[in-house]
Amino acid sequence: MPQGEGAKRSQPIIETHGLTRKFKETWAVAGLDLSIRPGSLFGLVGPDGAGKTTTLRLLAGLLDVTAGSATVAGYDLARHPEAIKASIGYMAQRFSLYAELSVLENLSFFAELYDVDPAWFRQRRERLLDFAGLTPFKDRRAQHLSGGMKKKLALACTLIHEPPILLLDEPTTGVDPVSRREFWDILTELYLGGTTVLVTTPYMDEADRCSRVGLMYEGRLVVCDQPQRIRDRVEGELIEVQTTAWEPARDLVNTLRGVLEVQTYGETLHLLVDSSEDRLPEIRIQLDEAGIAYQTVRRSTLRMEEAFISLVRKMEEGTN
Amino acid sequence: MSLRHMRAVFRKEIWHIMRDRSTFVLVLLTPITLLFIMAYALTVDIEHVPIAVLDGDRSPLSRAFTKQVTVGDDLDLHTRVSSLDEIDRLLKQGQIKAGLIIKPAFGSDVMSNRGMPVQIVIDGTEPESGAFAMEQIGRRAQSFVAQRIARQGGPAGAGSAAAEPIQLHIQALYNPSLKPRVDMVPGLISLVLGFPALSVALTLAHEREHGTLEQLMVTPVGRAELLLGKMLPYLLVGLINVVVIPLIAVLTLRIPFHGSFPLFFLLSIIFLFAMLSMGTLVGVLMRTQPAALALSFLVIFFPGFFMTGIFFPLAAMPAEVRMEAMILPGTHYAIMARGIFLRSASISQLWPQTVALLGLGMVFTAVAAFVFRKKLA
Repeated sequence: MPQGEGAKRSQPIIETHGLTRKFKETWAVAGLDLSIRPGSLFGLVGPDGAGKTTTLRLLAGLLDVTAGSATVAGYDLARHPEAIKASIGYMAQRFSLYAELSVLENLSFFAELYDVDPAWFRQRRERLLDFAGLTPFKDRRAQHLSGGMKKKLALACTLIHEPPILLLDEPTTGVDPVSRREFWDILTELYLGGTTVLVTTPYMDEADRCSRVGLMYEGRLVVCDQPQRIRDRVEGELIEVQTTAWEPARDLVNTLRGVLEVQTYGETLHLLVDSSEDRLPEIRIQLDEAGIAYQTVRRSTLRMEEAFISLVRKMEEGTN
Repeated sequence: MSLRHMRAVFRKEIWHIMRDRSTFVLVLLTPITLLFIMAYALTVDIEHVPIAVLDGDRSPLSRAFTKQVTVGDDLDLHTRVSSLDEIDRLLKQGQIKAGLIIKPAFGSDVMSNRGMPVQIVIDGTEPESGAFAMEQIGRRAQSFVAQRIARQGGPAGAGSAAAEPIQLHIQALYNPSLKPRVDMVPGLISLVLGFPALSVALTLAHEREHGTLEQLMVTPVGRAELLLGKMLPYLLVGLINVVVIPLIAVLTLRIPFHGSFPLFFLLSIIFLFAMLSMGTLVGVLMRTQPAALALSFLVIFFPGFFMTGIFFPLAAMPAEVRMEAMILPGTHYAIMARGIFLRSASISQLWPQTVALLGLGMVFTAVAAFVFRKKLA
């Protein structure tokens, strides 16, 4: 793959400086500074409307930049958008392949558009089909594939020209858990093979599988680090309380000393406390005294999900 | 320009046309069906008007006259009647549109050049058929008299020659019976070939709606490669219509085809190119299929119907409208098609229209390629 001048391994393969895109009155992306090193599996997370999709579309050259600059694969986005297009594989959020074409026909269509050598394509398509688990369905029309298979086909189509960079916009949204896991196994394999993957996702367990995670909020990157270090940023330790009377329990624990934050997950409360060792017995006593029945109260490890909610809440408190 | 990219888009689009039933019907079957419906429903041919004859003379001459009036497809002899009341009754029942009353003195008056004692009654509630019958009978009566005079060896004398009314011999060239369908059908072809253009507009909007355009935009495919690769399949499918439609027009609608078919085919390619460019421009401008459909009707079909001179002569339009009609490919093609079908026109007569269509096609394509950007917003 041709790469622009200065795209050495040590330098970022995707870099933005004050990248901004305004839609009418909304700043979808507002001064984004992003730096992604080659060979990363970079997860872009954030609440809906944070600007994740717009960021990917800007990097793919699908939208005009309002302000700021970006380089992708060593090419300047404003000056060489077509050169960038040859170096990236982009997968839109919704399935966007040709329904009347078979799996193989879709693949060969994109191979032609990406100028893949025909002989090379014949070898590569078998590997790709195998890789995506689509070999038994290669003659099936895309419209008759399941949701998960469609996503895998879309991914295979974006991989046809072996791009060094993959931009994937919520590739697993609306896919069943098994297919999601399979999809991520494929992504991990690509990552291990040296491809730079930039993926947006609303699922925090997926963010945990990334080598780096960037948290976007209101068009800006507010946190960018390894998943473990992002979890470490969140103050406190986690206590899990399972109770059917979660409402009174929530109101109670919110008033307790040392409880920094309470998050509700159905009938489970996740409490961030300053010290789980000290607070665990206290919480049990308080719940017993208030006459609130509970199934379990136990220490737990902080997941990406709690860290994400905690960080977004802080952000919202900061802006209000 | 990468031929490979264009070929890939072309092949993909052919698959789409062949596999997507609604597209297939729209491009291939609709034009033919519509031509049939319009040719039958919209043309105003009057034929086989039933008349009754009351022959008061009953001479060989009056029988010859009756025969002359009812020969051919225009007037049909419904019944011979023996009274005026019967004519009245048949008219009221709507069984006949006109009655021809031959007076008893018919034979002798005609023989002695004293005129022609006939009377025509028509159904005034259907003026078209009635007037048509009156005109036909009048025309035939004149030629009947003229034939008699000729058989008698010229006018009997100077006096009777002066008494004879001035006769205008109007001869309609190329369409001797002045049947509207004959000139309308070639014009209608320009209208029904708007459907491939509509399909192109719809397919572009479809790709935008379904996100496949987004996927195309991130590939290195060029704008012109994409647009031409999309137009070409519809041009080919349109050409199937260009072959089938004249066949149908000639075989079933009995429209004469006097000119050169290769020339017609060639000029049809140019016309389709201009139409498809227009459709492409519509598809590039509109973001959804309903919007593309609405705009197609607004700029392709309605003007194609009213402004291209198919039904309403260009000469009857105000100068500004006529100018507008000139930017419609259909206007030029209607002139070409009529010329080739009916007058056996050659390229030396049709080159202004050819140049106009080529120009329109190139301008529309250029504007479409200019407006179409590989961007989402």
